[in-house]
Amino acid sequence: MSVRVIARLDIKGPNLVKGVHLEGLRVLGSPERFARLYYEEGADELLYIDVVASLYGRNSLTDIVARTSREIFIPLTVGGGLRTIADIRTVLRAGADKVALNTAAITRPDFVREAVERFGSSTVVVSIEAIRHPDGRYEAYTENGRERTGVDALAWARRAAELGAGEILVTSIDREGTGKGFDLELTRAVATAVPIPVIAGGGAGTFAHVRDVVVDARADAVAIASVLHYNVVRRDDHTARVGDEGNVEYLKRGRPGFGKVQDATLADIKAVLRESGVPCRPVGAEAGA
Amino acid sequence: MRAVITADPGDLDAADAVILPGIGAFRDAIHTLDARALTPAIHAAVATGKPVLGICLGMQLLLTESHEMGRYRGLDLVAGEVTRLSEDAGDGTRVKVPHVGWSRISPAGGGAFKEPLFDGVPADAFMYFVHSYECRPSSPGVATATTRYGAAVYCSALRRDSVVGVQFHPERSGPHGLTIYRNFRTSIVTSREWSHGRTAGSEIRTA
Amino acid sequence: MGERLEAKYGLREEVVFCTRCVMSNQRPTSTVEFKHRADRKARVLAFDEEGVCDACRFAERKEQIDWDARERELVRLLDTHRRTDGGYDCVVPGSGGKDSCYAAHVLKYKYGMHPLTVTWPPLLYTDIGLKNFRAWLEVGGFDNVTFKPNGRVHALLTRLGIEHLLHPFQTFILGQKNLAPKIALQYGIPLIFYGESEAEYGNPIAETATSLRDRSYYAMQDLSEVSLGGVTVPELIERHGLTLNDLSVYFPADHRRLEAAKIEVHYLGYYLKWTPQESYYYAVEHTGFEANPVRTEGTYSKYNSLDDRIDGFHYYTSHVKFGLGRASSDAAQEIRNRHLTREEGVALVHKFDGEFPERYFREVMEYIGMKPERFHELCDEFRSPHLWERVGGEWRLRHRVS
Repeated sequence: MSVRVIARLDIKGPNLVKGVHLEGLRVLGSPERFARLYYEEGADELLYIDVVASLYGRNSLTDIVARTSREIFIPLTVGGGLRTIADIRTVLRAGADKVALNTAAITRPDFVREAVERFGSSTVVVSIEAIRHPDGRYEAYTENGRERTGVDALAWARRAAELGAGEILVTSIDREGTGKGFDLELTRAVATAVPIPVIAGGGAGTFAHVRDVVVDARADAVAIASVLHYNVVRRDDHTARVGDEGNVEYLKRGRPGFGKVQDATLADIKAVLRESGVPCRPVGAEAGA
Repeated sequence: MRAVITADPGDLDAADAVILPGIGAFRDAIHTLDARALTPAIHAAVATGKPVLGICLGMQLLLTESHEMGRYRGLDLVAGEVTRLSEDAGDGTRVKVPHVGWSRISPAGGGAFKEPLFDGVPADAFMYFVHSYECRPSSPGVATATTRYGAAVYCSALRRDSVVGVQFHPERSGPHGLTIYRNFRTSIVTSREWSHGRTAGSEIRTA
Repeated sequence: MGERLEAKYGLREEVVFCTRCVMSNQRPTSTVEFKHRADRKARVLAFDEEGVCDACRFAERKEQIDWDARERELVRLLDTHRRTDGGYDCVVPGSGGKDSCYAAHVLKYKYGMHPLTVTWPPLLYTDIGLKNFRAWLEVGGFDNVTFKPNGRVHALLTRLGIEHLLHPFQTFILGQKNLAPKIALQYGIPLIFYGESEAEYGNPIAETATSLRDRSYYAMQDLSEVSLGGVTVPELIERHGLTLNDLSVYFPADHRRLEAAKIEVHYLGYYLKWTPQESYYYAVEHTGFEANPVRTEGTYSKYNSLDDRIDGFHYYTSHVKFGLGRASSDAAQEIRNRHLTREEGVALVHKFDGEFPERYFREVMEYIGMKPERFHELCDEFRSPHLWERVGGEWRLRHRVS
């Protein structure tokens, strides 16, 4: 069974953004452009997260989802601010294959069950963003890493699986965007605790990290953002359409890279996985591109 | 290829081919097909030799019976049963169910694909799967592709006359998946309207 | 309506919000803290005929500035002061927040200066604050002088500041503004660099036309001008048992000595285009800075003003006195930098502004020796009738930004 390498795009309005610890909204370019590149370069799936949907109580990814699903033929998961069955239906109708639920699911766990009954297990991914406490326990956070819940992340993962979720996406807020690597302990704990696939999100800085989270921490899939985005930003001029909205200072400065990550292409990442004996879907010609 | 998403039996009668997509639960799907009189319409389509393509749950619906959350009768266009995927990885460990991700499809019987639907698709190409149940057709010649998951090797594509089924999602399987759709179009003889459904099984259940 | 509502502190009676950001005309501009008394009339944020505030106009102008020319000016300034003989050539005050991380790092590693970082520490370090302070020095690599004042006096003056001015941060601000010039004098370092200029936050534009910080902020003419915690020096000595020895640490430097030594205080934000959010990324990348893992109380952000447990009180009391809390501050700044739309800013203010700083409340009250109920009483006393009304047993702002 091959491991999936998923490109994660944090989106605010028209822009692809990338923060550190889920904070900061530095604009890196046009999400559609990045998504297209990732599809062509061998991404196994795409993950779109609207990072401010919960903050502003609005959902604005529908258009970009519609455009993406018309041109890009790999699975697309969409998350961020999905609060009702209607919200989910809108996003699925726009062309998403799966939805990621976080805030709404922890706030009212029955929502998971309702969504599963309506749309099927395989459509529902429960997304858990966690912070590590000094005593080694992990607490789940909502609203894109802003609000504490008091809920133990591991217990919640188990419950989500029981409620019928098809997959769990687990992100370490402590590691996210820092390039320090995934939280292996957290990922392993969740991956071994639930019978459903677990996607590791947040923290990759080098190839070794991606390999470690699969080999050591038993992740079934890996969601990668900074490592891929800063690589694209470095080599592709066209992705950086510098508009006016958002924090575009980095783009205006000529995109000097981000020292915390060793950026890489999907081909690089998959090569390292294969070298470590982890099967994954090939990129390029073998994939039929 | 003009496609129409429909829950209207009349559209099936008018169409040149039928695609049965599927995400969701077997029980709900079959009840909805029955409730909307789509079951006889599908049988009628098959009887006239129209191509029918079942995808994922849609493929499972083609079979006689499913064991998902109980025992439910399917469309019985292909003799066989739908049972839950095994979690046995073969080495004492367990694999995750649902099976989510890219796996290889191999021609049943080895060699290259003889199935016209897979014309141009290399043997052992990767396709995107997301399912918890597998199809077990009773007749041995029906399976056209197999896939390994854990310790098991199961039927990932089948054909009986003009009825074909794929357990994976060609619309989400990149360029090879698109090739399958192109082949399906080629297999359609007449030039009248099509029925085409691409998204979740909701359009079957809810119209 | 018809009744005339008292407006305290000389605030404008009519509450008006900027049409571009979320600030109101109730926002006081920087005070000369050591002259700060309860009966002062606050200078407030100015608006022009189009209803746009000074800070927004300043931000507008930021886009038209020739930053290359400004940088050349900076380099010329630095060239005349740079030392390679081991002596310090500039002072960078700060405590390891994202802005001081950026300032110190860029001066040292980009422009080849030899900065001495100078810290007037928080009253009570938060865990993340201490972590970032250390990272600043250990990862960023800087020499540092930290001057920690007498804790008992500090706690007392903080309490007095709350009682007389509802201004918990006054002692910190005093230290922050006055320490760097005094250290500069002592070490013979002629240049001091602060980060952004205060016009970013709405101080009159005229003051930012040059980069030099207005001397009145940090120099005094004589002791009779000085109040600390809203109490005059004689009263501090007679009523509160403090001595000149206890208090001198808070006094600003003697302006004559500063002038003689030709100490200059500059805003780096005059020379380098300042985008606070990019300072965050810079600090993460170069000095090991980490954002707060939790959302800071009273706002949506996680990287501003993290290091003092009493930070939250500063913003909460601002909200009580002026109707403007932390979310207002953060959002206004991000709107001016175009990271947020006004609509988004308004939503954030409604969601978070004025949130009570519950997390460290007990601890801070204990530290300064004040009963929690007394704090709430004081807040009520300081609420200006023209801003607040009582509805169903709860305080509510008469005017909310929209």
